[in-house]
Amino acid sequence: MEKGIIALAAALAIGLTALATGMAQRAIGSAGVGAVAEKPELLGSIIILVAIPETMVILGFAVAAIILMG
Amino acid sequence: MIRKMARIEIIGLKKDLSQTIHHLHDLGIMQIEDIRSLSNVLIQPLNPTYEMVQKRERIELINARINGLVDLFKKYFAGSLKNLEDSSSLEEIGARVEQVTTTVQQFTQNRTNLEDDLVSLSKYQNMLTLMVPLLPESAQKPGNATIGALLHATQTHSMNLLINQLRSMTHAKLEVAIVKVNESTNALIGVLPREYVVAVEELLAKEKITQFVLPEEYSFLKPPEAQALIEKKIEEDHKELDILEDHLRELASTWGPYLHSWQIVCLNMLDEYEIYARIGETEYTFTVYGWLPLDELPKLKDSLHEKVGKDLVINQLEIPEELSQKIPVALDNPKGIQSFENLVKMRAVPAYSDIDPSRLMAVFMPIFFGMMVGDVAYGLILLLLSLFLSRKIKGGIFADLIQTIKIGSIWSIVFGFLFGEFMGTLGGKIGLKPILLDRTAPNSTMTLLYMTIGVGVVHILLGLILGIANAIKHKSKKHLFEKGGMFLGLIGLLIVVATLLKVVPSASKWAGYSLLGAGVILLGISYGKTGVILSPIEFIGLLGNILSYLRIAALGLASVFLAKVANDMVGMIGNAVAGILVAVLIHSLNIIMAAFSPTIQSLRLQYVEFFRRFYEGGKNEFCPFKKRVLTQTNG
Repeated sequence: MEKGIIALAAALAIGLTALATGMAQRAIGSAGVGAVAEKPELLGSIIILVAIPETMVILGFAVAAIILMG
Repeated sequence: MIRKMARIEIIGLKKDLSQTIHHLHDLGIMQIEDIRSLSNVLIQPLNPTYEMVQKRERIELINARINGLVDLFKKYFAGSLKNLEDSSSLEEIGARVEQVTTTVQQFTQNRTNLEDDLVSLSKYQNMLTLMVPLLPESAQKPGNATIGALLHATQTHSMNLLINQLRSMTHAKLEVAIVKVNESTNALIGVLPREYVVAVEELLAKEKITQFVLPEEYSFLKPPEAQALIEKKIEEDHKELDILEDHLRELASTWGPYLHSWQIVCLNMLDEYEIYARIGETEYTFTVYGWLPLDELPKLKDSLHEKVGKDLVINQLEIPEELSQKIPVALDNPKGIQSFENLVKMRAVPAYSDIDPSRLMAVFMPIFFGMMVGDVAYGLILLLLSLFLSRKIKGGIFADLIQTIKIGSIWSIVFGFLFGEFMGTLGGKIGLKPILLDRTAPNSTMTLLYMTIGVGVVHILLGLILGIANAIKHKSKKHLFEKGGMFLGLIGLLIVVATLLKVVPSASKWAGYSLLGAGVILLGISYGKTGVILSPIEFIGLLGNILSYLRIAALGLASVFLAKVANDMVGMIGNAVAGILVAVLIHSLNIIMAAFSPTIQSLRLQYVEFFRRFYEGGKNEFCPFKKRVLTQTNG
């Protein structure tokens, strides 16, 4: 039972942060593609903007690892 | 490496202007400043002479004609484009372009006529194909004529009235057939003695009914004969069109390479005229201001004095304070680094006062890529793939990314040996032992996480050291406090963690706390009044940046476990062949993902985590005034 709850907690930690990252990237990505179509020189800046929310899922991964390795 | 730049002025007599500009264009080492944008220059911009304007218009006209021909020939021309050593003068080019244009215009006019003819003939043919099988036999009798009238499908009542009226006019000698042409139109075909034709046609005209009338050359023929002749004409028109297309193709293959060459010649001439607008003049002299790499200055002086004459004065100028932010940046890196240089430019061209991070990126980006993939077999496959693709793709962002994957794949092989991975867990089965750690072992996961955080700490500390060096170079107290504060705070935090892990004596923790506190205070000072709030937030952000390096471990684990799943599949599926097929499929997917994800993630670690510590970026890339060359190969 305890093992199952630990696994669920880890899954929630990474799953929810992944979902949040995806939602943020969806908005930034679609706007970014539009911007790059108009100004290709913005590609570097757009990659940065798209990549910023990924920190959430990486932190989620760290928390999940800590829960599992505990 | 950012090249040291020199600002120069060239002063010469007006008679030497065109030769000077032409030679500067040939040399291609100087960026010419627009005199209109310089505030402290009192010389007026050059006013082009009537001859210059006339010649420019002539070149623009020839260029427009060439563009039109190139566009037209695009679909025919399949040869590779190369710069032909063609020394034709503008007048010769103009004459030849006019000759080709005239020939092409004739061909295209003929083609348009034929195409129009075919459109109209096809319509008649379609109608006749519908009509002929339904024609009454009496249509073949001498003395009889055939008429056709087109009515809307909804006008059934009108059609019946018309038939009755026509029958009474022809004393019941009219034979009628009705054909459905399309959803909205019906055709009424009538066969009647020739003497009633005029009266019937008058009636149709009076009632505003559209008559189906064949073109003049077919109008006196019986419908089946007209149909046969139209079919023959269509066939002939198609053959003629094919011949015309062959002529155009031949013209394209003969003149295509010349046209592309002349296009470049014209554009180069126009570039020179464009540059005239940036030059200053007095009554007898001209002045050019510009930038070039300092080490190219002797070459420029020698070359201009040799080609134009010793009268030309070339001075190196002091760079005024107001232009210090506008100095164009030219980078000079070895060939292997140039791909990384382009990736740096994709973020932002370095400012003149920046440190060029291309070489650092060339070191760290492939290592991070290798750490993420960390598999001997995947590394070998990616190396072969990138070698193959780098031959196919030349230039552009994809070529640069392939170059990074190429070097990264070598690091993947190295880390593959360190992690003992060959197609994931197959390494163990073929006797490959992990030297550093086994990523699949649960007790190694935390070690892997600590290792990647360690990599992050080192990378970010290096970025902060560069940031401090930059701040000292620019005498910027604010940046020195900001970067220095972060550096001290981070070192302090590392000491505190080390004491907690009992790596260093516990007494050191006070030194750690002191450094941490001093660092945060320094950071706060750099932000001014808002520092009390911003300083802790920024420091926590810095820690977030370090934790961001965990993605190296995360992607690596995802890759190795996917490979493990692929290998386990072989045993789990009863059929060995099916198991191997599924395994190959999953490994292929993993390799494709290994090519994309680690590239993007390692690029992000450079852009977001590393560059932010020291890199400002500018927007003045050095663009020398140089000749265009034809390099692309078009289909």
